[in-house]
Amino acid sequence: MNLSGTSKSSPNEKQPIGLHVWRDPPAAGGWNMAADEALARQSEETNRVLMRLYGWHPHTVSLGSFQRCVDFSETLELSHWPVVRRPSGGGAIIHGTDLTYGLAVPGSHDWSRGTEKLYAAVHGALVEELGGRHLRARMVETTGRETEQSFYCFNRRAFGDLVVEDASGTSPHGNHKILGSAQRRLSGVVLQHGSLLLHRNPHLQGEGSHVGLGDVLQAGSGSVNDVVDGWLQRLADRLNGELIVETGPSYEKENGEIARRTERYESVAWLHRR
Amino acid sequence: MEKSRRYAKSHEWARLEDDGSVTVGISAYAVEALTDLVFMQLPDVGATVTAGESFGEIESVKAVSDLYAPISGKVVAANTELPSQLETLGSDPYGSGWVIRIQPDSVEQLEALMNQEAYDKLIGG
Repeated sequence: MNLSGTSKSSPNEKQPIGLHVWRDPPAAGGWNMAADEALARQSEETNRVLMRLYGWHPHTVSLGSFQRCVDFSETLELSHWPVVRRPSGGGAIIHGTDLTYGLAVPGSHDWSRGTEKLYAAVHGALVEELGGRHLRARMVETTGRETEQSFYCFNRRAFGDLVVEDASGTSPHGNHKILGSAQRRLSGVVLQHGSLLLHRNPHLQGEGSHVGLGDVLQAGSGSVNDVVDGWLQRLADRLNGELIVETGPSYEKENGEIARRTERYESVAWLHRR
Repeated sequence: MEKSRRYAKSHEWARLEDDGSVTVGISAYAVEALTDLVFMQLPDVGATVTAGESFGEIESVKAVSDLYAPISGKVVAANTELPSQLETLGSDPYGSGWVIRIQPDSVEQLEALMNQEAYDKLIGG
């Protein structure tokens, strides 16, 4: 297994600096998963830290790599939602009012070594950004065994999850999780998926309904977009380089590599693997 | 061929058995590094595995990782009790925490893997 992010490239290869970000338009679940996989392979080939930010159209439920499909089927409030299985772990996420990211870190970079470093870097940068905007945020320090089996990602509390103080007293956890991530450790590269919840989804109630960043930002603390821009800049700073926002290949809907990879994520075999 | 454990860079171990099969598992170092294991997927008996390619997956609370075959061959046994007793990987990684047994295409493949001393060096022991 890839524990250390061991790279196929030369051990003397320089650690990449800077952050390349692709901001993609909303796309369907299979395409999004395939584009992230292509992102990971490009990161490995070019020895760059690459990040993809995107939305979902139509709104879609994504399951963790090993979640049971029957648990989705039995969740009645989701019965009419499109569904896709992620290559990364964790719980189910209802996409539509979130900002999803895929971050690929090549094996030559220190962040690829061990699970915690990458969480600390990505989530820590957002904790800092939110702190600068007077929002009390922190990373969860230990995994909550009692929430580990929850179907929804945002009902789980595991180490590294980003939570904000529950000033309204409405959360049974005493806090609101607004950013959750999970990794797929591939040969030569680590792909980290994450979902930053922006707003509560108006189409959901009950267990699947969660507070988002925009719901807890105070007046005068800037917009959700301001927070995201600040977060990306802090991430680039942690990578000791420039923040380069560019158009990625996933904009090109005729992209053959992504289309080929999409077939797998749209297949019944992949969705029902468990 | 020496029957002590050999190791892949990807932290799987391999040991030649008396019947010519090779038992494969995950090193104690790797199990400790993964932490909080929650699920494991094994290959079917009869499946063909290729050295350096994925033969299964393991999920911890925050990451899914591939398991890579240290040698090529055919899977002749899988420890099917393991996915429901993942703690065994930590308590007895070189015994009852074995993962699969492979009938190797050739036992010489084991020579390409690291011995204990080289592996200890890799993990900084």
